[in-house]
Amino acid sequence: MTAHTAGATARVESAAAPEQDYADYAAHGGIVRGALEWVTAHQDRFALPADVSDPRTDLNWSMKPLGELARLSTSITRTAHTVAEHLHDEEWRRLARHARGLLDFAWAEIAEGRVLLELARAEPHATYPLEIYSAFASAGLRDEEFEEFTGALVRTRAWAFTEQQPNRRLGVLAAEHHARLPSHDDPTEVLRRTWLGSLPEPWTFDVAAGYALTHTVFHLTDWGARPAGVPADLNRYLHHWLPCWLDTCLEDQQWDLTCELLAVGASLPAPYPPDRYRPVWRELAARRAADGSLHEVGPDTEGPDTEGRDDGPPDRFTHRYHSTLAVAFAAALTAAALTAAGVPAHGGRATAFQAGAHR
Amino acid sequence: MKNLSGAVCDLASEVVSVLRDGDHRAVISPNGQGPDAELGVAAVRVLGADVLLPSTLHRHPAAPGDLRLVREAVRTFPPGGDASASTEWSHWAMREALRRHDPTAAAPQLSGAAPDAAWLSRLSWQELTHQLAVLGALAVPPAVAGPSPVVAAAAPRTLDLARGFVRAVRRRDWLQAAGAGRWLAVLDSDTSPVPATLGLDAGLDFVLRMGGADPRVALHAHAARLLRAGAAG
Repeated sequence: MTAHTAGATARVESAAAPEQDYADYAAHGGIVRGALEWVTAHQDRFALPADVSDPRTDLNWSMKPLGELARLSTSITRTAHTVAEHLHDEEWRRLARHARGLLDFAWAEIAEGRVLLELARAEPHATYPLEIYSAFASAGLRDEEFEEFTGALVRTRAWAFTEQQPNRRLGVLAAEHHARLPSHDDPTEVLRRTWLGSLPEPWTFDVAAGYALTHTVFHLTDWGARPAGVPADLNRYLHHWLPCWLDTCLEDQQWDLTCELLAVGASLPAPYPPDRYRPVWRELAARRAADGSLHEVGPDTEGPDTEGRDDGPPDRFTHRYHSTLAVAFAAALTAAALTAAGVPAHGGRATAFQAGAHR
Repeated sequence: MKNLSGAVCDLASEVVSVLRDGDHRAVISPNGQGPDAELGVAAVRVLGADVLLPSTLHRHPAAPGDLRLVREAVRTFPPGGDASASTEWSHWAMREALRRHDPTAAAPQLSGAAPDAAWLSRLSWQELTHQLAVLGALAVPPAVAGPSPVVAAAAPRTLDLARGFVRAVRRRDWLQAAGAGRWLAVLDSDTSPVPATLGLDAGLDFVLRMGGADPRVALHAHAARLLRAGAAG
């Protein structure tokens, strides 16, 4: 656990440093680094059990964390690379390599696609193997055999009418695209069946609606890579109402959802302005543990890791692996949004943002 | 002495009742005073100009008894030198309401300059919503209540107030939500529209269902609905 210890030291030092400006690259780079170090220190907890394709294995505690690691490390790799190129900055290059290393680890865990093919053979009409595959495919990691096998199944009527929430349906459509398969539905129509796509009364927001909303935006934008995927009415709607949702999510100590909402803000065609997100980031950054990780909700009262799966969930890892990946994802996207606004490397006050900010 | 918050709720219930009926009748029953007269005046001071709201919105002359009590509240509870801005403003609103409803009764305590409203424009959307909700009795259209520096200061900030409404509903702070909703009903205009996606009418209905057991919530929510329906427009 070398990286773990190093992360803790870095945080202790930074506690005495002057307050970070969360419209600055360095502050976000620090968050990404701390989170990735924690993930690397706990990489063994993402590893798949030998019996992953046994129907009795609970995929929620095996395939799901690994799939999320693949999804978010794909996005962090690409985003950190964008920032590194903009700033010509070695630290962001290191972060991109670090995230890419995690993605490669996940790819090795699924035996370069063969595990997903086994899962698809075990449950040929389930969409999740393809959804997980798409994270790898969008990073250029492909398995022809998997694509060929799934390609036949997506042509069935049953596949087109799989009963799923509309936001997840958007994810399946995006996955078909990444796997170079024919699309079975029109994403524009599916979007209008999602909670967000209906431009709902913003006071009806709750945690479930919040996660549906964030995933709708992630699918529309390919996890932040394509802000133009957000239609103008949704962009305007989100600028109107993100401030109240962020405010109340912070108050309710919904740290994981706060990260996802910040990631949404950074994925918009006109990114959420720094003057609004600064206090949110300040609060979120302060909620991280000394080891760079972030827990999902509520006060951080959890004890040490129980180490190993046999102790059974939930333990410290299960309550923080997702939010730790999410905080790195949101911080990297926020930094990338600064580059899109042309903010320079040092002393960058994000004036360009304010000009384009939607009130 | 009965407690003040109970007396305020009783009085607010009466206002709601008259507001909803639209009848031309007094808010305060003439024989409802008696031993609790002092408490009654204090309750009038708390609700402030809203005691005359049914007359204002339905454009009826105010009942003499209501006017007398409002006048007495103005006289009995003048804002002290260290009064908060909201106390000063709610006092100002009572004075203005008296001047409108009873122009003949010019009295020294009814005169005086309007307090400062510039501070409102410096508040964050959360603070603005809180302050304006406290000043809910000032949320009356200038078309019926005359010009108001608070309405003028709040007018460009419909989006901020709409955000505050959402926040208040999320926090289940029904009184603040109803107050913010009432302000939005007053301020919605072509130059500073309330975003259509807010769903203000459904929101007011929701607030009324969730928090309307509190007559102060019901007062603001019913006032807002009346305004949305075009009363006093």
